[in-house]
Amino acid sequence: MITLKNIERFYNTGLNKSWVLKNISFNLKKGEFLTIMGPSGSGKSTLLNIIGMLDKPDTGEYYFLDEPVHTFSEKRRTELHKHTIGFVFQAYHLIDELTVYENIEMPLLYRGVGKSERQSMVADLLDRFNIVGKKGLFPAQLSGGQQQLVGIARAIVGKPKLLLADEPTGNLHTSQGEMIMGLLKELHGEGMTIIQVTHNEKFAAYGTRVMQIEDGFVRMDTTT
Amino acid sequence: MFQNYLKIALRNLLKQKGLTAINVLGLSIGLACFSLFMLYAVNEFSYDRFHDKGDRTFRVLRWWEAGFAGRDEAGGDSYLPMPLGPALKTDFPDVEQFVRLREAWGENFVRANGEVSRAGVQFADPSFFEVFSFKIKYGSPSAALKDRYNVVLTEKMAQRLFGESNPTGKTLEIKLEDKFEPYTVAAVAENPPPNSTIQFDILGNFERLYTTKFGEGSLNNWNRSSLQTYVLLRPGSGLADNSKQLLGFYQKYYPDQKAALQKEGSWKGEGAPCSFRLQPLREMHAGMETWGENAAEVDPTGIWTLLAIAAGVLLIACINFTTLSIGRSAGRAKEVGVRKVIGGGRGQLVRQFLTESLLLSALSAVIGLAMAQALMPAFNEMADRTLSFSLRLYPEIGWLAVGLTLLVGLLAGSYPALVLSGFKPVEILKSKVRLGGANFFTKSLVTTQFVLSIGLAAATLIIVQQLHFMRSQNPGFQRENVVVVDASDTDSEKIYPRFRQLALQQPQVMGVASAELGLGEGTGWSQSGWAYQGKQKNVYEYFVDNHYMDVLGMQLLAGRNFDPKFATDTINSIIVNEAFLKDFGWTAETALGQKLEGYYEGSEKPLPVVVGVVKDFNFRPFKEEVKPQLFHQFSDYAPFKFFVRLQPGDPAPALAALKLAWASAESELPFKYSFLDENLDRFYESEARFSNIIGWAGGISIFLACLGLFGLAALAAANRTKEIGIRKVLGASLGGIVGLLSKDFLRLVALAILIAAPLAWYFMQKWLDDFAYRIELHWWQFLAAGAGAVAVAFLTVSFQSVKAALANPVESLRSE
Ligand SMILES: Nc1ncnc2c1ncn2[C@@H]1O[C@H](COP(=O)(O)OP(=O)(O)OP(=O)(O)O)[C@@H](O)[C@H]1O
Ligand SMILES: [Mg+2]
Repeated sequence: MITLKNIERFYNTGLNKSWVLKNISFNLKKGEFLTIMGPSGSGKSTLLNIIGMLDKPDTGEYYFLDEPVHTFSEKRRTELHKHTIGFVFQAYHLIDELTVYENIEMPLLYRGVGKSERQSMVADLLDRFNIVGKKGLFPAQLSGGQQQLVGIARAIVGKPKLLLADEPTGNLHTSQGEMIMGLLKELHGEGMTIIQVTHNEKFAAYGTRVMQIEDGFVRMDTTT
Repeated sequence: MFQNYLKIALRNLLKQKGLTAINVLGLSIGLACFSLFMLYAVNEFSYDRFHDKGDRTFRVLRWWEAGFAGRDEAGGDSYLPMPLGPALKTDFPDVEQFVRLREAWGENFVRANGEVSRAGVQFADPSFFEVFSFKIKYGSPSAALKDRYNVVLTEKMAQRLFGESNPTGKTLEIKLEDKFEPYTVAAVAENPPPNSTIQFDILGNFERLYTTKFGEGSLNNWNRSSLQTYVLLRPGSGLADNSKQLLGFYQKYYPDQKAALQKEGSWKGEGAPCSFRLQPLREMHAGMETWGENAAEVDPTGIWTLLAIAAGVLLIACINFTTLSIGRSAGRAKEVGVRKVIGGGRGQLVRQFLTESLLLSALSAVIGLAMAQALMPAFNEMADRTLSFSLRLYPEIGWLAVGLTLLVGLLAGSYPALVLSGFKPVEILKSKVRLGGANFFTKSLVTTQFVLSIGLAAATLIIVQQLHFMRSQNPGFQRENVVVVDASDTDSEKIYPRFRQLALQQPQVMGVASAELGLGEGTGWSQSGWAYQGKQKNVYEYFVDNHYMDVLGMQLLAGRNFDPKFATDTINSIIVNEAFLKDFGWTAETALGQKLEGYYEGSEKPLPVVVGVVKDFNFRPFKEEVKPQLFHQFSDYAPFKFFVRLQPGDPAPALAALKLAWASAESELPFKYSFLDENLDRFYESEARFSNIIGWAGGISIFLACLGLFGLAALAAANRTKEIGIRKVLGASLGGIVGLLSKDFLRLVALAILIAAPLAWYFMQKWLDDFAYRIELHWWQFLAAGAGAVAVAFLTVSFQSVKAALANPVESLRSE
């Protein structure tokens, strides 16, 4: 589903370049659940952003469903991103001015989904995540775990092909974290391809494959 | 989707109540201001458009080419002879109808229900209501002026004279040339719309004038020009543009004029100096073409200037919205990042932000219109108009209002929309970028605001000073404590001696004089022109009596005042002013005994002889140089104005006594008076109005600019809370922190002063150039305006920075 070839990302700091990602190459098949681990500052988020088409590699090739994303214009990349990728953040990043319902509905609006279809899709998710009673509340009125539930619901409401989660449990207590991980596992079970970043060994084990990154290199890549 | 935008926009506006209040307040004031001025402009440009046949109705002008009598510009004159209208109709088959109009010459006495009062009476040909679209309330248009002794009243006049009931068929007496005569009210017209150049209160039948002294002298006289003539052309006629035909017509009736003008030296050109032109009705008020001084009432550049000033005020309010939105971008950045990650395109985000600004401008438009409605009476007084937001009178204001709202929303919102929607989600969500600071663009905007408002403040200061200068400058005679009694259209020659005798018995009355004309705006003037030794001369003429100089306190430089001892004084003695001497090349000594050669062209009358010279005095506005002036006592004139000099102090008892004196001299006609200094001040009405408007615009723009600064300072303080906290913990003083937060803004205001001063200097220099007597510009005027702006700006900014500096650092640091 995804092929990365010699991906590099660097910043010009003064005279010399400082590499964030170097020589990253790997394949990801449909239905895999990849966990990326590594020390702080090793480039995990940068890699995830590149895969999520929010950022561009400086060199290297990136194929998503056999499409050469690295050759795309920004506009085309955004378009592809919009229809294929769901994002979950450590800091949830819900829109404060919107209710739970409206937050989940937002991606559908951007995609131009019709009203009745939108209603049923959002209602399904609210029901499934057990947050029907919270649909009129604003993010500030929810606990962290509930906010992240909404975050995941929002990420998958558009039925993305790939779900990216950058430390989805980083701000949560263990029990809430486990609940979120359980949910991701369930989604995986239904066939969703997922890439998550985590510092938590235990949560890493929810995935089918673990990749260690250090100083921009892939140190280890094990499939269980 | 749009619904969603609207929802979010509303929530955002509610969330940021302070900012919303600042924006709404600013934009509504700006819109209120602009909509009033826009209405003013719409009204000015809508003049005379309501006539159904307006596109083929024209006013005839006598058109003088540039170069005639040494004039720089060509120009039209709308006062024309009586036989013109009928001649046009007989000579041109294209002329379907003509209307001659004699405007009210001052006020006539009218008697209704046994009571005498003054009112303006105009006369028009019976075709008036056929050519023009004035509506008739009672009666029929065709019968309105059928009979010579018919009159039409406006609703207002009808009510004043006859009360509420329908007065058609009732009798009204009008005093025309010495005697009251009965007229029948044949119709009542609706009041002419405020945007009509032709205004009337009482309209008589033009044919009535045929049998008056005036009419007998004018009927077939092509050399007496005092009437307006309008023509209605047949549909499709090209006569208005056919200058050749019109010139041929002109030369038919003035065959010798060119040769005569060439002989006296006032026309040197090859072609014809003069012809007729047809001025479209709707160009009579503010014609975009130059139609000459008498031919368009209002100079369109004045209207555009006012509109530009109002647009400037509105721009300042729009800038507030822009800079405040940019200032708050830090608060919106995360939202932008998230929206982009979940699939929001830039276009969608732009639309969302524009929805917000449009919502705000719509809200402000509603409030602004309400404000404008509330301010309408005050504005009308200032602008000397009777405006209202009437869709019937001005159908265009509907879409203008909608267009303006959209424009304001887009203008204010597009820059923030572009900036905000351009944020890169990766950078924002990592919060790597520092946001919310003022960039070069927003700094330039703030500077622009202050350039505009400081410029307007400086302009106000200068205009007010010039105005004060003109009003307080000694005009060369004593203008205070003089009552001017209006005796026009009365038997003044009989009334005057008795009135004078009775008035002088009052201890408060120091002197009484009489003259044909008053002094000041609206009291008339008369000029005579003749060829003196082959050169064209134009001088102002005043018929006065021998007390005039004393009562007004004028200074005699040579010769003598008029004196009853000299029998010649009522025949040919004249007194002239210094400007007259200069024009004729005399000195005070050589002037005495000089004769005005050529004064009575082709008559045997004895020539006027100079017997005295008076010091120049400003009998015209200070805008103009003192012009040549001559005073005489010729016996065929009548004294229509009585000048009464009073002791300083409360004039009320003297006025009461004067009224009694008048009543015993003239038993029926009412007493009417004015004060000389007020008449003179009226010269400066338009300047006073202008200074009022500029002053308000300046004040409002400074207020709006400071309102924006207030918000910006609050945002800056909020963005730097943490920094301020740390600095305080490290020991920074209150003054240090206030300085830190204020100096950025004050620097912008200082820069604005540097830009505004030369601009204001340039424009005010140009404005003052129009005045023959004017103040000089001084650097301190600009410094004062600038210092005022800095002071207000500093107060505004320091309010916020002191608040920030006083906040407890522990709190602000903990919240991070
Ligand atoms: N604009 C930039 N200029 C220079 N260096 C940058 C820039 N943005 C990111 N970096 C560097 O890239 C490196 C990788 O950052 P990244 O956020 O991908 O790390 P991470 O593995 O996600 O770390 P963490 O576990 O703390 O989230 C960091 O060392 C950071 O300093
Ligand atoms: Mg990271």
